[in-house]
Amino acid sequence: MSPKEYFMRATRSRGAAIALTGVLAVSLSACGGGGDSSASGPVDLKMALWSSNEDHLALLQEIGDAYTAEHGDEVASITFEPVTNPDYIAGLTTQIAGGDVPDLAWIPEASGPEFVDAGILHDVRDTLEGVDGYDLDDILPAALEPWQDDDGGVYAYPFSNSPFALYVNQDLLAAAGQPDVTTLVGTPEYTWATITDVAAATNGATGAAGLNVPTFTTTNWSAVTMLGNAWGAAPWSEDGATCEFASPEMVDYLTWYQDQIARGAIPAVSGNAAPAAFASGDVAFSVAQLSQSGSLDDSFEWSFLPLPAGPDGYHPIVGQAGVSVLERSEHQEQAAGFLAYLTNPANAELLSQFFPPPRASLLNVETLSQAAPKLTPEEIQTAIIDVVPEAQVKPQHPVLSQFTDKVRAGLDPVWAGGDVETAVTGICEQISPTLEG
Amino acid sequence: MRSDAARADRNRSRVTTITLYALLVVLSLPFLYPTLWMFFSSFKPANEIFVQPPALLPREWTLDGFAQVFTAQPFLQQYGNSMYIAAIVTVSSILLSAMAGYAFARIRFPLRNAAFTLMLAAMMVPTEVTIIPIFTAVNAMGLNDTHWPLIILPIFGPTSVVSVFIYRQHFLSFPKEYEEAARLDGVSRAGVFFRIALPLAKPAIAAVGIMAFLRSFNMYFEALIFLRTPENFTLGLAITRYQDFYGEQMWNTQLGAASLTVVPILVVFLIAQKQFVQGLAQTGIKG
Amino acid sequence: MSSRRPRPGGNGWLGVAFVAPQVLGVIVLGVVPFIFVIWYSFNEWRPLTGEMEFIGLDNYYRLVADPTFSASIIASLLFSAGVLVLNLVIAISLAVLLNRRMKGITGFRTIFFSPVVVSVVAWSVTWGFLLAPDGGINGALAILGIDGPNWLADPSTALISLVVVQVFKGVGMNMVLFLAALQSVPEEIREAAHLDGAGPWRSFRSITVPMIAPTILLTGILTTIGSLEVFAPVQLLTGGGPGDTTNVLPFFLYRTAFISQQFGYASAIGVVLFAIILALTMLQWTTRRRWVHDEV
Repeated sequence: MSPKEYFMRATRSRGAAIALTGVLAVSLSACGGGGDSSASGPVDLKMALWSSNEDHLALLQEIGDAYTAEHGDEVASITFEPVTNPDYIAGLTTQIAGGDVPDLAWIPEASGPEFVDAGILHDVRDTLEGVDGYDLDDILPAALEPWQDDDGGVYAYPFSNSPFALYVNQDLLAAAGQPDVTTLVGTPEYTWATITDVAAATNGATGAAGLNVPTFTTTNWSAVTMLGNAWGAAPWSEDGATCEFASPEMVDYLTWYQDQIARGAIPAVSGNAAPAAFASGDVAFSVAQLSQSGSLDDSFEWSFLPLPAGPDGYHPIVGQAGVSVLERSEHQEQAAGFLAYLTNPANAELLSQFFPPPRASLLNVETLSQAAPKLTPEEIQTAIIDVVPEAQVKPQHPVLSQFTDKVRAGLDPVWAGGDVETAVTGICEQISPTLEG
Repeated sequence: MRSDAARADRNRSRVTTITLYALLVVLSLPFLYPTLWMFFSSFKPANEIFVQPPALLPREWTLDGFAQVFTAQPFLQQYGNSMYIAAIVTVSSILLSAMAGYAFARIRFPLRNAAFTLMLAAMMVPTEVTIIPIFTAVNAMGLNDTHWPLIILPIFGPTSVVSVFIYRQHFLSFPKEYEEAARLDGVSRAGVFFRIALPLAKPAIAAVGIMAFLRSFNMYFEALIFLRTPENFTLGLAITRYQDFYGEQMWNTQLGAASLTVVPILVVFLIAQKQFVQGLAQTGIKG
Repeated sequence: MSSRRPRPGGNGWLGVAFVAPQVLGVIVLGVVPFIFVIWYSFNEWRPLTGEMEFIGLDNYYRLVADPTFSASIIASLLFSAGVLVLNLVIAISLAVLLNRRMKGITGFRTIFFSPVVVSVVAWSVTWGFLLAPDGGINGALAILGIDGPNWLADPSTALISLVVVQVFKGVGMNMVLFLAALQSVPEEIREAAHLDGAGPWRSFRSITVPMIAPTILLTGILTTIGSLEVFAPVQLLTGGGPGDTTNVLPFFLYRTAFISQQFGYASAIGVVLFAIILALTMLQWTTRRRWVHDEV
């Protein structure tokens, strides 16, 4: 009698089933906690993710089910758990710190270096390279770089590589008697100066917000400082060891930003509240990613443009989210196997329904039209395809979480119209010891 | 002459009365206006929230704010979570604190004073101070993202001491004659408590019940630390989470959800406010 | 309250059984965790990696040198002082105003009490809208021709805004307690004082205040402890800013523990927070004999 037959016969009676479970439990624990998990049959995988969007979940579940159907001997089930703590990363790290470690997780780019540095993420390079047709080289080097260490290890697949762009409410501009700024794209006049002029005029005429960054709160200060790259401003040096908040470029940028608040082009900051949503129809310009177009309907006419140029020219920015296997997962191998499947070219194309892909082969109007059906092919070409290969990832730092509140406190006076020089010098004094490590 | 004086007196008292009413109306504003504004603003379209000059009533009434309350999050389930947690906390506190308060007031047992001093001292250890070990313990027991910490902490933790104190003050002034009569009839100590002292402690029960309910209902810090899936959220946490999928704020939806959490309790309070306030007034904190 | 001595011969075991759930609860959920907090504060502990290392008093040395920490203590003390004074003054004033027979007085009492039953999150969120630069409060001021400040972003108004939010939320509870205390002041005493020629202020100071002193003491202590625990309004309205002007200790602790992932350092903040609560409570408790005649 094969073990399977025996098992099936034994489980016909409930008593036998209970006895069997008991024996199984004992023998499993005798194996020393199942460290060699592959030997103990198919496992259940858990992935933590930031989105609780039902469509996102449905797609992931579909891919997950397809995988378990094919690899039922390795993975019995895959569950996708949204972590919707008001602060996703706090929720995730809290979960990990608590020892309730998911096997895979959605990691926002801001936390990437910190997680890689802390050894929390599992190197999946060998797994990905070992899969036929995975084509790791297809992934844009600029997109993959933040998730690699010096030895070439790969710690995540940046499934969402989404450029920041400028949303324009055409109806509001028209109501304010302002010109159509879309015609300026590609000309030297398409600058932050022009856009903020229009924003200020629109605010004056309609009372609507001029230009805002909807994800900006004082605690999420990087949503605004990142735009300084058009001024050549960066918060710290490339190696992360030197504070550059006090650089002339950053001072110029922040002073400019302050002036925009003062003249009404940018709404004033209120506590740590986020500004109005573009979807409310009460905002002329909004700096946001491609995915935001999903929340827009036909209630007003809008356009999707690349970010304007600043004094230092045009510097596109992408925001990323990666999917990683966690080092403390008990089923690293199985999880890495699923990661390779989830992000292979075919599934990457499915994911690009919602998330702009990091794969060069998918950067085309047809694929991206799925991600943002509300955009025109021209908008996709100019604001995404032309932009992504050269775009920089938002500034990151391996110990960001340790000094982010110091920067928040230091920048607060800037938003309120205080002296920029004093503020940024203070920030560097505060955070330099941490940066130098 | 007399009538003149009386009239002057009456006039003066009328002036005083009018001044007093005017004063009370003005003082009412900061207490009443925010709640009214929240309620009416949940009927405004999102772009009317910051309209100038500010208006209490919507120019254009809409139910948009409520439309997404239930679709963006499992709001009904979250409502249920808050309610059942608050119900367990309230009922348990009413009973357990009463037993402790009664014993501290009426029964002599070893280390009684030491135990009571310990209770009072523990009031100075809020959850914020001890959150890290509590967090690690909750994780070690696998109770993260469950409601257990939100139930156990307010019932048994240091915040429950106020309830014990209220009951103790109440039972200290409870007439001994009642108890003695019952004891002479052969009723046991426990019987005296359950059949005589507790049923007669209605004001204290009301006060403790209200305070326990509010304590549970206002619990935000602990929920923030321990809960992470929307299905498990309590209302306080849920209100802060009204953002669209891209992180943008849904103002009118948030206000709609806030109104839905506030209005029913406010209505219950208005109906029962006499008992409510009288119960609190007789807490014994009045010295 | 003539006798607080228990009847001799009470069943000791029953008393122990009756207090056991709460006393054990307080030990397990308060005392023991606090001992752990003290222990953790001597360690460097990064929960993300699970590394824990004994470092003696280093966290405390670091605290002393950390400008955020000193700012945080100042924020907590100012907030607490503001809430305590404003809350008691308003609560007592309202209680005195309402302590009379008048048509509609119950209605006013209900209004003043109503924020107590509004959830703290809903209350904070609403005030966030009202205190915005173009929110209702500045809109109202604009009608009066006043250009209102950016309440939550201006370092000179942010903390006081939070104090106001906290006070209006909770003062109704204290008002009711004072109202009850006032109602227990015998009318004859006040009338006697009136006949002796005492004005309302004098009679309030020399008769009412001493009579309600025990209530002042208890509400004072409870309000102080409550204000030092403030979290939700800070997180929802200011995020600790501008600068560190509203970065009160519980919020600083939360960010240090759960955002910066420094459990050891956060534990040291917790120990200091407890020390401050203890000190302020003791201060009120030990000075009580000077002004509270009736033993509580």
